[in-house]
Amino acid sequence: MASHPRFSAQTLSVLAALCDQPSLWQHGYALAKQTGLKSGTLYPVLIRLADQGLVEACWQDEPQPGRPRRHLYRLTAAGLASATGALASTAGPAPEPAAVRAGARRTRAAPAGRGTVAGVIP
Amino acid sequence: MNRLNRAAAAARHAAAWLLPAGRRDWAAAVWAEAHQVPPGLARLAWRAGGVWVLAREALMPRRLGRVVVFAAAAAVAAWAAWPDSSVLHADADQFGVIATVLLLAGLPLLARRFFGPVSDSRIARFLRAASYAVILALMPAVAVVAPYPLTVPQRGAELRVFIAGGNATHGMPGTSAGGPPWPGEIFFLALTACYVVVILWLTSRRSSVAPATLAAGTGAGIVFGLVMYSVAPLGLTQYASNPWLPGSQVDPLVALAWILLFGGPAAAGVLAAGWYCRRPDSIKLAQARAGQGIVAGVVANLVGALFVTVAGTGIIALTIKVARLRPLVYHAAHQSEAAAYGHVLHASEHVGTYVVMCVAFPLIGLVMSSLGVACTMPVPRQSGPQPGDGGGGPPGPEPAPDPPDGGRRAEAEADADRLLVPV
Repeated sequence: MASHPRFSAQTLSVLAALCDQPSLWQHGYALAKQTGLKSGTLYPVLIRLADQGLVEACWQDEPQPGRPRRHLYRLTAAGLASATGALASTAGPAPEPAAVRAGARRTRAAPAGRGTVAGVIP
Repeated sequence: MNRLNRAAAAARHAAAWLLPAGRRDWAAAVWAEAHQVPPGLARLAWRAGGVWVLAREALMPRRLGRVVVFAAAAAVAAWAAWPDSSVLHADADQFGVIATVLLLAGLPLLARRFFGPVSDSRIARFLRAASYAVILALMPAVAVVAPYPLTVPQRGAELRVFIAGGNATHGMPGTSAGGPPWPGEIFFLALTACYVVVILWLTSRRSSVAPATLAAGTGAGIVFGLVMYSVAPLGLTQYASNPWLPGSQVDPLVALAWILLFGGPAAAGVLAAGWYCRRPDSIKLAQARAGQGIVAGVVANLVGALFVTVAGTGIIALTIKVARLRPLVYHAAHQSEAAAYGHVLHASEHVGTYVVMCVAFPLIGLVMSSLGVACTMPVPRQSGPQPGDGGGGPPGPEPAPDPPDGGRRAEAEADADRLLVPV
């Protein structure tokens, strides 16, 4: 059986959030809302995952008027495999995003600007 | 609230320059995303998190970490090397300690402007860090050793040995004439500055010294340093009665040390030149190849000189400070404490020879590697069709060039000009 790297609970929650729709690019703020993590925790996790080649990042093609371009994230193929394995091998149920654990209804509406990055999605 | 947001933004801008290039996008990402966060405390908290990310990514692991490590090491070295103000030339010694620390701290900032940041290669980072560690270690060692030949023992057999050694005119028992006076201190500082500048250039990004070149030079230097140190592990004395060597002046190890002193840089130069480019196909590439070889030779003897100096001076300083060590390192069946003291005294009197080595060895490396590279320089290949290349038909498409030396030739061509300037 393939071994998966050990991830922290925060990292697992980010992976779980990214695993929801692995083909879609997601924004940092949306991830923060899904996972309940603060920016000071979320971004170091994303940076480490990107360093390990598990997450890829890019800049939004067209910014919203009056706002800077946003940074987008999604799992790589290796990241998806690693996340799936890690989430499956956790003892209990896969760590749900904090918003889900809290019973809040997850915002399914596409974040602003997502449409503009549709071309980026292969 | 706006003021706080502006302050957080200002902090982010101020800290952004500390970030490594690969992390700046992430800092911008956190800040760009703040526009999506509802204004007020939530946005402020988001930006505060961004500042934390900056601090974490830029300051802690990289520069601040290095600065803290250097500051701690320099503080310990300066504390250990700080001379007692009662000894003669204490002011010169104190100036030497402060100036050395300032040199080590300030020259990288200056070098960054002219040479660029440190190279990404591990060997360059290792060489830079190790050289700094050696220079810092030398500070307390020299501070212990330099005044020792001029410090009059208080009583007993050591005083008799001291006087018998021709040191009767250095003052009253218990007094010290201190370390080197101002001219000696300034020369030592100048030599240190030269070494630091050379090391900073060799390990910088703009020098274009290939990692393989540094590896060849450093490897040869460490081997040479080990052999050289094994010849005279307790300082450059005529007493070779020690636990590691029989002490014969015709020991094969002595011969090997001489061979490595002259042959090591030549071999490292030839090796580094060959690794850089086996068959240069232009004059420019041939010159760059020769430059790499010469640099490797200089690095070899520079590393060797540093190794021998820090190890030799360090062991002398240890035997001075830890008297119990003397019977262990001066290994002889019937050796008295006075005789051991005599050996230490003799070794400390000749510690200046290490300074001569630090000057002469890199120059020897320069000459020998130049000779080695020149003797083995291949004739550059002529571009264009060669006799016997193909038969009578029309010329076909240019064959794809072999990826020589790990595909580095194109990069080598581009770097050739830059490399040749300082060499």
